[in-house]
Amino acid sequence: MSGSGPAVRVSIESSCEKQVQEVSLDGMETYVPPLSMSQNLAKLAQRIDFGQGSDSDEEGAETEPRDPQEWGKQEPEEDEATVKFQPSLWPWDSVRNNLRSSLTEMCVLYDVLSVVKEKKYMALDPVSQDPSAGKTPQVFQLISKKKSLATAAQLLLKGADKLSKSVAENQENRRQRDFNSELLRLRSQWKLRKVGDKILGDLSYRSAGSLFPHAGTFEVIKNTDIDLDKKLPEDYCPLNVQIPSDLEGSAYIKVSIQKQAPDIGDLGTVSLFRRQPKAKAGTQPWHVKLEAAQNVLLCKEIFAQLSREAVQIKSQIPHIVVKNQIISQPFPGLQLSISLCHSTGEKKNQRASPEKPKPDDHLYVLEHNLHQLMREFHKQTLSSIVMPHPASAPFGHKRQRMAGPMAYDKAEISNLQQNEGLLEKIIKQAKHIFLRSRTARTIDSLASRIEDPQIQAHWSNINDVYESSVKVLITSQGYEQICKSIQLQLNIGVEQIRVVHRDGRVITLSHQEQELQDFLLSQMSQHQVHAVQQLAKVMGWHVLSFSNHVGLGSVESIGNASAITVASSNGEYAISVRNGPESGCKVLVQFPRSQSKELPKSDVIQDGKWNHLRGPYKEVHWSKMEGRNFVYKMELLMAALTPCP
Amino acid sequence: MEAPPVSVLPITGGTINMMEYLLQGSVLDQALESLLHRLRGLCDNMEPETFADHELVYLLKGQQGNPFLLRARRSLSHPTVPWHLRYLGQPEVGDKSRHALVRNCVDVATSHSLPDFLNEMGFRMDHEFVAKGHIFRRGVLKVVVSKLSRILVPGNTENTEPLSLSYLVELSVLVPAGQDTMSEDMRSFAEQLKPLVHLEKIDPKRHM
Repeated sequence: MSGSGPAVRVSIESSCEKQVQEVSLDGMETYVPPLSMSQNLAKLAQRIDFGQGSDSDEEGAETEPRDPQEWGKQEPEEDEATVKFQPSLWPWDSVRNNLRSSLTEMCVLYDVLSVVKEKKYMALDPVSQDPSAGKTPQVFQLISKKKSLATAAQLLLKGADKLSKSVAENQENRRQRDFNSELLRLRSQWKLRKVGDKILGDLSYRSAGSLFPHAGTFEVIKNTDIDLDKKLPEDYCPLNVQIPSDLEGSAYIKVSIQKQAPDIGDLGTVSLFRRQPKAKAGTQPWHVKLEAAQNVLLCKEIFAQLSREAVQIKSQIPHIVVKNQIISQPFPGLQLSISLCHSTGEKKNQRASPEKPKPDDHLYVLEHNLHQLMREFHKQTLSSIVMPHPASAPFGHKRQRMAGPMAYDKAEISNLQQNEGLLEKIIKQAKHIFLRSRTARTIDSLASRIEDPQIQAHWSNINDVYESSVKVLITSQGYEQICKSIQLQLNIGVEQIRVVHRDGRVITLSHQEQELQDFLLSQMSQHQVHAVQQLAKVMGWHVLSFSNHVGLGSVESIGNASAITVASSNGEYAISVRNGPESGCKVLVQFPRSQSKELPKSDVIQDGKWNHLRGPYKEVHWSKMEGRNFVYKMELLMAALTPCP
Repeated sequence: MEAPPVSVLPITGGTINMMEYLLQGSVLDQALESLLHRLRGLCDNMEPETFADHELVYLLKGQQGNPFLLRARRSLSHPTVPWHLRYLGQPEVGDKSRHALVRNCVDVATSHSLPDFLNEMGFRMDHEFVAKGHIFRRGVLKVVVSKLSRILVPGNTENTEPLSLSYLVELSVLVPAGQDTMSEDMRSFAEQLKPLVHLEKIDPKRHM
């Protein structure tokens, strides 16, 4: 509705169509009587809200954009209505003004909307939000975000604070915490108890059955002499143990066998100490210390027991106990010394021993056995044989309790008690070890010295502490299958050697080395003669005579000589062998009479057949004979004398 | 004959003058388990040993006032084991500082004809009871935890009723006369059992 053109008078009148009120049955319509002017005006005036100001035109325009055309149509109608009555309704001026302004606004709005719809003259583009326009909600968002972030940050900071504090605490209280964990570890391996405010431990073997009076208590102390500023050393341990002063250092028991020491004043020296074994990596220093102290205690107990027995037990040759050494004589000319070597660690042994002991002087087996025997004794005291039934009876072996009711005599009672103490057992073991090593040495020296016949020794793997056995075979090289008649089983005991021969003889040899050697030499010489016997069977020769112990000829200092005579298959030749351990072997060959030239011709023998008999003997230069050993030579000889078919 | 070799086991019965050091206490039945655990830890490491004994107390009434008392005990769990005859003398009234009850003690193992023998000698059985429980040892110390039961029908050990709702705990050592070192060890051992059971010197005369 542009106001640029000339004013066009537009008159509008309302349609005269009246509203139908009623339609009668005969088709007559009854109209509603139209409103009179005043009624109409009143109706319109009622519509106006006088409470609203002119600002509310915009809202009013916004709220009712739907019917702009209707409004537009009605406006001029109302405008005309009000213009008509203007002079008489002067108080309606404000109403008229408001209406006019609202009309204007509405028209503008209608224009804008139509333009926007057509998009020909104007296009709507999104306009960046004026920050000042949305100021209020954004600030609120910012503030709320800031607050929430601040709360989150505060929480995180608090957490970080706590963590850093605990880490700092860790650094500070590392020793405190470590001490407890170390204490737990210590407790898992050693017996601890709390007395007052001290922590004491027990490293003795009492709970394992020992009756040694040493208390063996150690004390656990906190290691506080540490500088916080300096870096902690690698082997730092928060826990320290204090062991009794007499158990410090390390100890071992040295058992050795020597030739009788000529100088008795040399006794009682502390032997040179062997180097200490390095502790395994990963073991705590307190563990190493406690183990070493426990070992010292056990060695002391062993030595105390040995020395007590050495003094109390009466034996043929008394044992000497000097300071830390016990000396006894297992065999004449031999000396067994058991000494407790205890070194406190720091100060070296000032006294230099006169000669350096041989490295294999120390019999480690016996030291180990001593430890084992002691532990066995401990176990015995813990066995339930000792427990009394009925309960009021005193402790003691149950067989001892039978002594009263069964009326044992003194011999039986002494049988019940332990017959052997620790010292006796160890001496017996030492004797056996010595005897065994000497037997081996004898056999080896013989084997290396004598090549023909050969001597072999097969030692059994499984031995007892008091008994070992070896099988000795005497053979000739190359003829092992034929000549195997000498096989000896030697059972080496504590003081004697028992020999069982293949043919069933049992011979007991004493501990003297010479006896065994002589016996073996005599067996070797017998072997040669036996070998000839076996060889004769193989070669087809006949054994005419055989004797293991010949009573003729010179007397041998070792054993007896043996002799054999074999004849060839056709009887023409005969070989006689005499072999002695000292005199060696002598081989004689008997020729038939026809071959010998020395025989005087006599006319007593007239028939020629007597010439086939065997005649004189001739000795064989055995050493010049070809052949690498006796049996080989013998075989060659036999072969030479066997006639060709 | 040479002297027999020394055995390191405690020598018993060698002399007639053995002294018994004794401490006694009691625990209620409910506390038995914890006491046994404690003892198992403190004492020597052996399999726990239970026992069931039948004890007869014989009296010889002489013309004088005090009757002579002998205790004969046999094991119900090991019927073939010899009987045990025990004489306990009067408690020594030594110094009051000694922590344990000390009295002379003679122990003899006898054959199974002991009750008849005692009857023939003139002793009369005063009372009998059955004791069942556990026995522990620690070195030379003996700890006996026993439940005493009254015998209802004389001679019948099957039919018993407990005398009380608690167990008797006894700590005892047998030493030759003259040695007095054991009372300290006993006291320290009793200290270790302290909260569970109080072992103390109980003078039997005061309770007569």
